Amino acid sequence: MPNLRGPLALAITTLGTGSLLVLSACLNSNAQEAVPTRTADNFVAPATVDTAGLPGPVQPVFYRHDVHAGQYKMDCRYCHFAAETSMHAGIPSIRPTCMGCHTVIGTDNPEVERLREAASNDQPVEWVKVHRLPPFVHFPHMRHVKGAGITCQTCHGPVQEMARVYQYSSLKMGWCLDCHKKNKQTTDCTACHY
Amino acid sequence: MPLLDGQDGQDGQDGRGGQDGQGPTPVLPVPPARSEGIDRRRFLTVLGATSAAVATTSGCTEPAEKLIPFLVPIEDQTPGIATYYATTCRECSAGCGLHVRVREGRAVKIEGNPENPINRGKLCARGQAGLQGLYNPDRVRTPMAKQANGTFAPIPWDAAIAAVAAKLTGVAGNRVWFVTGHETGSFDRLVTQFLGGVGSTNRVSFEPFGHEALRRATREVFGIEAVPVYDFAAAKYVLSFGADFLETFGSPVEQTRGFADGRAARTGTRARYVHIEPRMGMTGMSADEWVAPNSGTEGQVALAIAHLIVEDGLVKNGPPASALRGLLGRYEPEDVAERSGVSEEIIERLAKEFVAGPSLAIAGGMGAQHANAAFTAAAVHILNYVAGNVNRTVKFDAEATFPGLGYAALSGLTKAITDGTVDVLFVHGANPVHGTPGTAFGDALGSAKFRVSFARFWDETAMSADLILPDSDPLEQWNDSEPRAGMHLLQQPVMSNVFDTKQTGDVLLGVAQKLGGTAARRLPAASWETYLKDAWHGVQRTVGVAGAFEDFWNESLRAGGVYRRARTRPVGLAASATRITETPIASAEDGLTAIVYPSPVFHDGRGANRPWLQELPDPVSKITWSTWVEIHPDTAGRLGISQGDHVEVKSASGSITVPAYVYHGVRRDVVAVPLGQGHTAFGRFAENVGANAYRLLGATPTAFGGVDHYVPVSLAATGVHERLASTEGSARQMGRGIAQAVTVGQLAAGETGEPESHEASPLPENIEKLLEEVQQEHYDDYNAHAPYAGDHPRWGLAIDLSRCTGCSACVTACYSENNIPQVGVDQVRRGREMSWIRIERYFEGGDDDRPLEARFLPMMCQQCGNAPCEPVCPVFASYHTPDGLNGQVYNRCVGTRYCANNCPYKVRYFNWFDSSNPADTTYAWPEPLHLLLNPDVTVRSKGVMEKCTFCVQRIRGKQHDARMRGTPLKDGEIQTACQQTCPADAIVFGDLNDRNSRVSRLAALETGYHVLDGLNTRPGVTYLRKVRNVVEA
Repeated sequence: MPNLRGPLALAITTLGTGSLLVLSACLNSNAQEAVPTRTADNFVAPATVDTAGLPGPVQPVFYRHDVHAGQYKMDCRYCHFAAETSMHAGIPSIRPTCMGCHTVIGTDNPEVERLREAASNDQPVEWVKVHRLPPFVHFPHMRHVKGAGITCQTCHGPVQEMARVYQYSSLKMGWCLDCHKKNKQTTDCTACHY
Repeated sequence: MPLLDGQDGQDGQDGRGGQDGQGPTPVLPVPPARSEGIDRRRFLTVLGATSAAVATTSGCTEPAEKLIPFLVPIEDQTPGIATYYATTCRECSAGCGLHVRVREGRAVKIEGNPENPINRGKLCARGQAGLQGLYNPDRVRTPMAKQANGTFAPIPWDAAIAAVAAKLTGVAGNRVWFVTGHETGSFDRLVTQFLGGVGSTNRVSFEPFGHEALRRATREVFGIEAVPVYDFAAAKYVLSFGADFLETFGSPVEQTRGFADGRAARTGTRARYVHIEPRMGMTGMSADEWVAPNSGTEGQVALAIAHLIVEDGLVKNGPPASALRGLLGRYEPEDVAERSGVSEEIIERLAKEFVAGPSLAIAGGMGAQHANAAFTAAAVHILNYVAGNVNRTVKFDAEATFPGLGYAALSGLTKAITDGTVDVLFVHGANPVHGTPGTAFGDALGSAKFRVSFARFWDETAMSADLILPDSDPLEQWNDSEPRAGMHLLQQPVMSNVFDTKQTGDVLLGVAQKLGGTAARRLPAASWETYLKDAWHGVQRTVGVAGAFEDFWNESLRAGGVYRRARTRPVGLAASATRITETPIASAEDGLTAIVYPSPVFHDGRGANRPWLQELPDPVSKITWSTWVEIHPDTAGRLGISQGDHVEVKSASGSITVPAYVYHGVRRDVVAVPLGQGHTAFGRFAENVGANAYRLLGATPTAFGGVDHYVPVSLAATGVHERLASTEGSARQMGRGIAQAVTVGQLAAGETGEPESHEASPLPENIEKLLEEVQQEHYDDYNAHAPYAGDHPRWGLAIDLSRCTGCSACVTACYSENNIPQVGVDQVRRGREMSWIRIERYFEGGDDDRPLEARFLPMMCQQCGNAPCEPVCPVFASYHTPDGLNGQVYNRCVGTRYCANNCPYKVRYFNWFDSSNPADTTYAWPEPLHLLLNPDVTVRSKGVMEKCTFCVQRIRGKQHDARMRGTPLKDGEIQTACQQTCPADAIVFGDLNDRNSRVSRLAALETGYHVLDGLNTRPGVTYLRKVRNVVEA
């Protein structure tokens, strides 16, 4: 795993199993200061051989954020289209977002083949949810992304370098409040809990 | 926390695939026209997958959920943002416009369409509960055919349509019958054309309470067959002869608004309202005076008043009335007083009051549902005529409404079936097996050779059918209607079908094509949608809108229809007016008459399968999940019956056994039983609840072709007693000054009403300063962390009790908005209902000294400035927010219930059971009912306290909007769910710290008061005293 850094890479080598891995990812919540929001211009997503060791839940399609957002520098909002307008960032539809490019690009990739199959069977991809926010919390993406101009990486980590996405921040209330207090934003309970 | 789909909204993407990428037309902006949506199988597949939670390792501790994006995004829907679609309510035939809030492809809330001039954005409780029809778990989910052993088995649509065509082949046209509900648009035409195609004219339009008497009376008095339209707002004096115009009669939402506007006038005079009926129902409770005549004599009172107006020349330059002298001569006030039991003084006073200003007399509703009803309605028409109200406050549509509607036609069908002349019977939009008098129709039905039902639910009529071809829900349908001249209303599907249902229009077109020949030639349209659009080319010509049809169509869809000022036609007295005669109503030996009235919440029973409505306390009795008989205390005492005793009510036609509700609001010789319950089918929420009072009524139509709802009965206690499932604490205020009132006389004299009747608690000297300091601390904290442009609101409500009619629409709206579970009859008995807002109903008087008076008061969390609930919470779950709310943080609550114990208003509700858990027996949203959960509101679980938060999710949502667009919130931009739906506009929400806001101005009025003010709770809710326009003694 050359692309995984710091405490996480350590966690992978020492613990090795999926579930504990994510636990360690959750604990790794103070790293947000140093999160790179862009990767080097010449970043090349590494070839992954051992996917079993990657952090984060196994997805039905092995979608590579490091290839799309890192190597090809696609804007996050190309796929997560509602991040600036809605409470939810949005998950792209196979048609037209995925197949818009993949009818011509990477058609020989077996994962793209899975996508095409799903599209032709009219089956949406059932992604496994990575970021756990309890149902009694209401998080407005648009207020943070557009309103406050916070980068996606601030909370989601260096997604552009993740071969498989994992939950980077704890998303626990103390973590939210730390940032809110530092930036003199509301700490009223009913701002999020209702 | 249980993970429901309702909570899943936070996850964003629990949508469904979409094939064509186009949804139905939203309110804004205008999108391209809609073509067909996704097919059902895909929708269900996605639906199923969404609710599945699979254990993977993505989270730290909890099982993971799936995120399922749209296969193809729906153009006008973004996850997390609500899209509103305009359509029309079909819970009754009034024609209220709807804006349906759709999130991630599913309807989650129904609100009124402000553009529709009938309801102007408001809705009643039944309209709000339309969602529970759409997602009802007891809908017929796929076409069903009856097997030889009497059970039903699914059948594919193609086979079902072929089966109908086969049955129609070779059958003589006159042996085919078609029953529909009240239809006034293209579907009405389609059915008639379909019948014509098979050579039949046997069309029955059946609507319970179909205004039979009123139409007959209008023909006799004015020579036209029409139902009058009443202008409540223009009338300063309203005299209702038994018309329940705030409940079920006519267009209740529209009438409520007009009535409330007239009553709560800030300038000018306030309207006075007198109700004349043997029973005081919800509508009568809003009256300033209740006059209870002998059953069936309302018409005589009307003519006695008319007599005085004509003979004494009370109206100067009135309409010519000499022709009526002969008729009115037979109704001397003196004689009428003796026959009706209404004293001569009252009649004389009513006559003088009636002509003093713009007035209005109303016939209809229960006053027009007895044997003498046609006479009553005619007499009221004559009264309006002699007072000069006709063509002013009483108008008639240019085109006949309600043509051919009535019970007589259905009665004719019953006879035809019994005679064995019905080979194929279609029933659509009606449930006559349950909703007709006696058992005649149900008994006869078996003799019809082949019965096809288009029922949406497993109702009694569907159970008797050979083939059920389930119609789509009104929220899934294309349709149109013209409830009155000039109002062309559209319905569009707001989401794709929940089940494998088909619109009956499409089914009929399919059958016609299968049949070929005349039927196919007459109905060439490829689909029901095309048929409808073709019809709207005609509408475009009628209303004279130039331009392309597509533009007209899209604009009509966006607006919910085309609204033109209803054309009215002036009417004059017909010669037959002088010849009206009475039909005496039957009376029993011991003199008890039962009034069998439509329930304000279930109507004839069509609403009984909606748990929100079952749990909604009846506005009069406050009883839930039941049927009861209202008995006057003296009568109850005479018969040895007390509250809750089971009583057998027996008429010549049948009997029912129901608990007694002892009530001052019925005459001593009258008992009253609501309709709507006692279903033997109709799904889990309706079956075996209460009793069906239709069984008391005689099946023979009245002389005017209606149903006689006044029936002689005898009562006998059965010895069984039950504790009524009532939400009423006490029927009397006992000096607490909760629902306060003031008379116009007192107001004129500068008094503002009842002072607080108990001593205020002693206050520490520096309390004002202390409270100010605490509030300042809140504000400082607020400003430090959230600089809302120096804006620190205190949210508050002003509730005008002069406007509130007790209709309880707000209660159902609150259930819908806030994911409140119904708890069922047993838990209601234990006082564990969860209604965050309830309508308190108190009685005053009712003895010999003071006439009975009822007062309504909507009670929700008062958001106290000095809240008793806050300091007692050990975990800070109940706390004061900087914007003046009593916040309730569910995830913090550990369920000590200290807060509820310390709340003087009883507005905190505890989750005793896990009604949000699908595995629990108390689960409140059996699939697919859970789809109506509002994704913006947490679904609470067991052990959590909950309460009204002034719809904090709406406040935060609008604050987000304001911040994103960069301009401050405007007054009135945030509407709580209760305010949004209130037909009387009694509830106003806003910022009390903004002196110019509407709520501040109302709260500052001299009639304003706080409930239990003496406790120093500093409520954020200000009530305006009910102003009673009574005759001062």
